[in-house]
Amino acid sequence: MVAFIWIGGEIISVESFLFCAFSALVIVSGVMLISQHNPVHAALSFAVVVLSTCGLFLLQAAPFLMAATAIIYAGAIVVTFLFVIMLAQQAGLSDADLRSREPFLATLAGFLVLGGLVYLIKQSFNTRELDALLNQAQAAAEKDSPAEMTRVLGSEDEFFLKVQRALEKISGSPEKVGLLNELLNTRASWNEWKGVNEREKMRNALALIAEQGAQVRDAAGTLRPHESQPLSEFSIPSAELAGRENLAPLGRSLFTDFLIPVELAGTLLLVATIGAIAITGRRGEARR
Amino acid sequence: MIPVMSLQNYLVVGAILFALGMIGFLARRNFIVMFLSAEMMLQGVAINLVAFARHRGNLQGQAFVLFILTVAACEAAIALALILTLYRSRRSLDVSIWQDLREAGQDATVDEEPLPPPPAEPSLPKLTPAGIEPKHPEEMSHV
Repeated sequence: MVAFIWIGGEIISVESFLFCAFSALVIVSGVMLISQHNPVHAALSFAVVVLSTCGLFLLQAAPFLMAATAIIYAGAIVVTFLFVIMLAQQAGLSDADLRSREPFLATLAGFLVLGGLVYLIKQSFNTRELDALLNQAQAAAEKDSPAEMTRVLGSEDEFFLKVQRALEKISGSPEKVGLLNELLNTRASWNEWKGVNEREKMRNALALIAEQGAQVRDAAGTLRPHESQPLSEFSIPSAELAGRENLAPLGRSLFTDFLIPVELAGTLLLVATIGAIAITGRRGEARR
Repeated sequence: MIPVMSLQNYLVVGAILFALGMIGFLARRNFIVMFLSAEMMLQGVAINLVAFARHRGNLQGQAFVLFILTVAACEAAIALALILTLYRSRRSLDVSIWQDLREAGQDATVDEEPLPPPPAEPSLPKLTPAGIEPKHPEEMSHV
């Protein structure tokens, strides 16, 4: 199913390669957009940004959005922008294009925002610490005697505390609560089990922690809503359509969950058209 | 290193696009480039929404991106109409010309950066004025 290509002595899946290519193109042309003197060049690099974003949409199984974005943005909006640039700047580059406004402060603000966002993403998806602890628990569960388990875990009390702390850092995973209770129970009865040599119970408890921990880790950062407030079923494509059909499920979602927003969007388009004509139209002034 | 294809890669690309658009919006003076930067911020958000839609197997994210497209189209129409009107009244696309629209009680920003030097005049060939041919100095050497 997955194709691979060979680049520089390493095997990369085609999907990864395309992702890297498209995102590099997005970032490079984004930088070109904000750094070009000539607004025409800026508009053309915006077209490249949009087209490579379309590539990313296609990689994310959204072919309809790819087509819609390419047609609306690259086809209509960029062309209109170019049209206005040609209309307004027949004399060539103006003073406004050659100077920037507070470039240092603007860049600082941009990088602060970027740093904050990337830090948040790293916080929500970084599960390396939990992974190491879960591997340790899994390895301990496969041992035979309590002494060997202790050797793998180090100090048990400290191990459980570490798992607890790693779990507390992970957000957005509803399974976390159950696992934390399990952890507390195990920790409370661990020494008792150890005293009477309850191998099976100890092993089962560790395996349970490892298993549930893996579930928590997989759900980390997915922002899944709570079980008591499930999302609408209409937007979830049925099993036989998922991955094969995009347009029909999307239409179903639009005309069930988003029926009123669709009508509002239509009204908005109408109002915007009227507004644009009313703002630019000069016929009334001439007649007056 | 083989990059892992997952949600957070797309989120980071979206964040980078958003920040780039923000820098462009804050630093550029040309109305049109400012609006292009704002549209680029919208693209960053759209990447995030589509990534979550894929990750969760739920099409609500994609539906949201369709609404973003609608709003962006309306925004472009209105913005271009406004830009044309502004351009007609002052013959320039520079935002800082419109500083008198700022909030009451705020100081006007003064440009510290000097104006760029005016473009050099194209060098035209200098022609000798027509008339009687001037006297040439006599040649000193004879062959």
